[in-house]
Amino acid sequence: MRLPRFQYLEPKDLCEALHLLELHGEECRILAGGTDLLVRMKQRLLRPSWILSLKNLHELDYIRNEDGALCIGGRTPLARVLSSPVVAEKIPALREAVQSIGAPTIQHYRGTLGGNLCQDTRCLHHNQSAFWRSTKQPCHKAGGRICYAREGSDRCRSTHQSDAAPALMALEARVVLSRKEGTRILSLEDFYTTRGETPLAIERGEILTEIQIPLPSSGSGNAYRRIAYRSAVDFPIASAGVSVQVRKGRIQRAKIVVGSIASAPLPLAQAGACLQGRPLDDEDALERAAQVSMDHASAFAVDNVGSTVEYRIRMVSVLVKRALKEALHRAQSREDEP
Amino acid sequence: MKRRLPLMLTVNGEEVELFVEPHWTLLEVLRDELDLTGTKEGCGEGVCGACTVLVDGKPVRACLTLALEVSGREVITVEGLAGAEGLDPLQEAFVEHGAVQCGFCTPGMLMAAKALLLEEPAPDEERIRRAISGNICRCTGYTKIVEAIASISGPAKGNPAGGKS
Amino acid sequence: MNDYSVIGKRMPRVDSRAKVTGEAKYTADLKFPRMLVGKVLRSPLPHARILHIDTTRARRLPGVKAVVTGEDTTGEKWGVFRYTRDQQFLPTDKVRYLGEEVAAVAAVDEDTALEALELIKVDYEELPAVFDPLEAMAPDAPRIHEDFPQNINIHVAIHVGDVEEGFAKSYYVREDTFRAPEESYFQGEPYAVVARFDLEGNLEIWMPNAGPHMKAKPLSNALKIPLHKVHVRKITIGGAFGGRSEISPADFICALLAQKTRRPVKIVYSREENTIATRQGHAMITTIKTGVDRQGRVIARDVTCFMDGGAYSSTGPIATSVPFLCMEQAYRMENVRYNGYRIYTNKPVRGMIRVHGRAFACGVDTQLDMIAEQLGIDPVEIRLRNAREAGDYTNTRSYVTSCAMKETIRRAAERAGWKEKWGKLPPYRGIGIGCNSVQTGFPMGIRGGSQAFIKFNEDGGATVISGVVDNGQGNDNMLVQIAAEELGLRPEDIQLVTADTEVTPLDPGAYSQVSTFIGGQAVKLAAQDARRKLLEIASEALEAHVDDLVARDRMIFVKGSPQKAIPIKKVVRMGLARGKSVSGEGAYWPKVDPKREWVTNPFGQMCEAFSFGTTIAEVEVDPETGKVKVLQVVAAQDVGFALNPLVLEGQFQGAVAMGGQGGMLTEYHFWDQGRVMNPTQLEYKLPLAPDMPPIETIIVESHDPNGPYGAKEAGMSIAMSAAQAYSAAVSNAIGVYMKEFPITPDKILQALRSKREDKE
Repeated sequence: MRLPRFQYLEPKDLCEALHLLELHGEECRILAGGTDLLVRMKQRLLRPSWILSLKNLHELDYIRNEDGALCIGGRTPLARVLSSPVVAEKIPALREAVQSIGAPTIQHYRGTLGGNLCQDTRCLHHNQSAFWRSTKQPCHKAGGRICYAREGSDRCRSTHQSDAAPALMALEARVVLSRKEGTRILSLEDFYTTRGETPLAIERGEILTEIQIPLPSSGSGNAYRRIAYRSAVDFPIASAGVSVQVRKGRIQRAKIVVGSIASAPLPLAQAGACLQGRPLDDEDALERAAQVSMDHASAFAVDNVGSTVEYRIRMVSVLVKRALKEALHRAQSREDEP
Repeated sequence: MKRRLPLMLTVNGEEVELFVEPHWTLLEVLRDELDLTGTKEGCGEGVCGACTVLVDGKPVRACLTLALEVSGREVITVEGLAGAEGLDPLQEAFVEHGAVQCGFCTPGMLMAAKALLLEEPAPDEERIRRAISGNICRCTGYTKIVEAIASISGPAKGNPAGGKS
Repeated sequence: MNDYSVIGKRMPRVDSRAKVTGEAKYTADLKFPRMLVGKVLRSPLPHARILHIDTTRARRLPGVKAVVTGEDTTGEKWGVFRYTRDQQFLPTDKVRYLGEEVAAVAAVDEDTALEALELIKVDYEELPAVFDPLEAMAPDAPRIHEDFPQNINIHVAIHVGDVEEGFAKSYYVREDTFRAPEESYFQGEPYAVVARFDLEGNLEIWMPNAGPHMKAKPLSNALKIPLHKVHVRKITIGGAFGGRSEISPADFICALLAQKTRRPVKIVYSREENTIATRQGHAMITTIKTGVDRQGRVIARDVTCFMDGGAYSSTGPIATSVPFLCMEQAYRMENVRYNGYRIYTNKPVRGMIRVHGRAFACGVDTQLDMIAEQLGIDPVEIRLRNAREAGDYTNTRSYVTSCAMKETIRRAAERAGWKEKWGKLPPYRGIGIGCNSVQTGFPMGIRGGSQAFIKFNEDGGATVISGVVDNGQGNDNMLVQIAAEELGLRPEDIQLVTADTEVTPLDPGAYSQVSTFIGGQAVKLAAQDARRKLLEIASEALEAHVDDLVARDRMIFVKGSPQKAIPIKKVVRMGLARGKSVSGEGAYWPKVDPKREWVTNPFGQMCEAFSFGTTIAEVEVDPETGKVKVLQVVAAQDVGFALNPLVLEGQFQGAVAMGGQGGMLTEYHFWDQGRVMNPTQLEYKLPLAPDMPPIETIIVESHDPNGPYGAKEAGMSIAMSAAQAYSAAVSNAIGVYMKEFPITPDKILQALRSKREDKE
């Protein structure tokens, strides 16, 4: 498959990158690992005039501990995230999420954490070849006024299928967006707009330079679960990232985020609230949290990423429950840590 | 628009200098410019793994890698596996174990396996299957491929699949 | 015990070295001076009249060397059969499916060719389209081909005995309907063609094919050039699985572009094009009514099958028959009726595929399990009671010379631990069995037989010239083994010239499972012919009678006195020096009923041999997610004789992946009108290495008296029995007989829910 033509920018450092980005604006796309961007370009979903490569920006490739947060450079390859001992020990949810992205050879060496978070939403009615799309009127995502996934929808219902995003949102991670004039920090909840047409709050001239994950304290646990029909090279059709805080046999706080259901990861505060103050082995509370998650998800899901929408909604409850159990188990085993 | 840019890289140990258009992928440069057609295009969108090559020892999809992205790097393709002394033990194992049928996925499969063995000389079966999980084979059911990789990688030798009894 | 030196051995394939080094050339790897890139413009509508095509702007684009449309053709229609001529390779009147070829360009590079496509303007008059076979049969449905009322493309009607009477006599009768959508081949190699003409007007063309001669004839017809001027060349092929049996419009278009431009042209399909514009497997709705006696023996069976054939006939008559034939070969039935309808719809064209009809084969076996449960019989036992045996005639009157079906059932059951497991597994664990049979060939007219030549070289090596094609299954190695065995040489002494229509004689092709049986047989005969000539020369030198001589390991020696020997190389050189022929020829024509015809006369000897196989699968279902983990698969097939166990095991394992793991758990196409929603490997879920279970293979040998060394078909029947075993195992695990395939997690959860609701 042939890529469309573009001009190539290879800034030496972040400063030059931000300058070039400012200069070329909307017509410029950022190339990190390319596993999402280049496929979209081959399908002619995107035809940027300029490609700005991050290949020389080694300064964005790092994992470090800073003020109680794990800071990961935007261009850090997934393989590096996987080999980080801190991630393995404290943020297993992120490790589980990254592990399930694509397959080792496709994504883990080229793919970056920033790229995974910045991936666009997907829809089987949109993410097709140029020929395929030429057989239909353009949908909302393509600048038209139709939605093929949900009849009569006045907006784009494409699905955000990042694995890392729901896991990191459950951990209350933030992203640092840099531009020529400075930086701003957004929580992931603010980073994702929930609009299918423009799912990211990233603005013209900005690069996602860092992901900050507050390091969980003792008595906390987190986990990520996802489902797909195949063992690898498969986007999740439903997923759940959770983090919990336990103390003296009770759940103090639970954060539940459901992925691959809506145009952004869905933080479900109500579902989390079901668990507050409950004993760790309160199966009913778990069931309730799972049920509430499912009810919430059902309001968003449309049939656009394979399987059936009924199945995916049902899986929300299973995945939330499984992720919670694992997170609680992890929290319990870490409760006595200093 | 058709401005070509210089590209220097090492391919199978040889330094290569050429001029490429920015939208050319590493796969296109290998196949069309350098005539290294051992690397295959099976899907062009990073799913099938037929175009897997090593860049600085790590497996990547040549179809989703711009040629300019690997400037100054060291690329190994399937043509670079065999040395003057003959086939790489991994290639030998694929031949001996009947891991090759139609052969279209074989170059990518070999490179994914090679990357694994470079990183981890004695992986277990689960690791092997995971390492080649980004490579689709439609002919073999993977059994003999896994056996071939296992045969040179660890203690698990022989023919666990059974066969004629 | 046989005394072969090359045959029957675990021999690494002769083609594998070139494949592991990347040296093997596939079509897309070819490169010629001045070669152009061809691209095809496809219809964005499922059914439309072509009013006008304006190619002016495309032609004017610098770098474009040719643009072709239906106007550049003779307009002739092609069909595999006289009565199925319905497809123009570039349509002149209308398009019948979304993705059909409308025009094509040849340009200096891919970017220019793609740009040119965008400059072609086509005016269509959109016509009402139909996408469902049952709707397509309605009287007021849009007619896709004028000559075919109700869009019935093929109707195969078979009635042997009297099924109504059989049902009346039956102890137990039941009727069930099974459904499955389309599946696809997803060969590793996407389709590609390279074509060029020489100064004498000879066409040289390369493409993945399952029989070069099946490609040459339609090309000769459509291009109006003599058949002997069409040279389909040998090339490495990245899989076929039934999907590359016949001509593809791309072959013709590429040749036409080469003819127009007088330059080599290469067309490489995208993965999407490989899915929509080559072939797919048929979607099917199969209703099966079966009556049995108290012991579970089938007294009568009535099967009605509606197959969604897509826009053109393809190999329709064969594809409509084979699912039925596989069943009638596998199982005895006193009375049987079959009505198979292949219906035109405005969808991509459907062809033969390795698993012939999931909704047919799995339907038959699922229903057998239902009957067994009703009668309190073990599934293994009911299969043994109905299994085909050697010496039988099938219902459509094919004599079964060799058959070890029962042995495959018994040995698979034993290896899988059936007795210990059936009915005793914990909840959500299940075990299932499937049985099937595949024909070793079919009557194919002039291309039904194969011929071969052997040429000895002065160094004592030999060149085999045969029309047999290797799609990846190992046919080249099979020919080498046979020739080496017969000539007394080592495999490395054999050179192959195969699958080239200029040089190699007619051959049926690989798609009817006869490469070994017919093509291999021809090579065997040619080798014996050549050997006889060598022995005659040697007999003078060794002063021994020809009948007392043996050729083995590059030597000819006198039986019983190995010291009286002479190197083959020397004998060859003696022959050459004395002007004696040292080459051989062989021809094999299968003993089939030439009057048998798919639609008009589906009776008589189908082929000379049938393979039989059994697969048993054990699975575990996650009742919360509906996901299936396959714990163990045992595949046993009666292959007649194992020419190369290493290759056979690979065939079995691959068949389990394609028929069972993919075919029964995750692979299917889904649609938006005429658009396939999952044309690429991202959304069409082919199994990956971590998905696959451990597979045990059991090779059963019934030594077919007519097969070369006793061999017959291998590889296809396991794909079918694996599909059956997987579906049976899942049904067993969840306690619900599944009737819609593949059995995806959502269907499993739905079935479990319905079961719970039924109980309440």
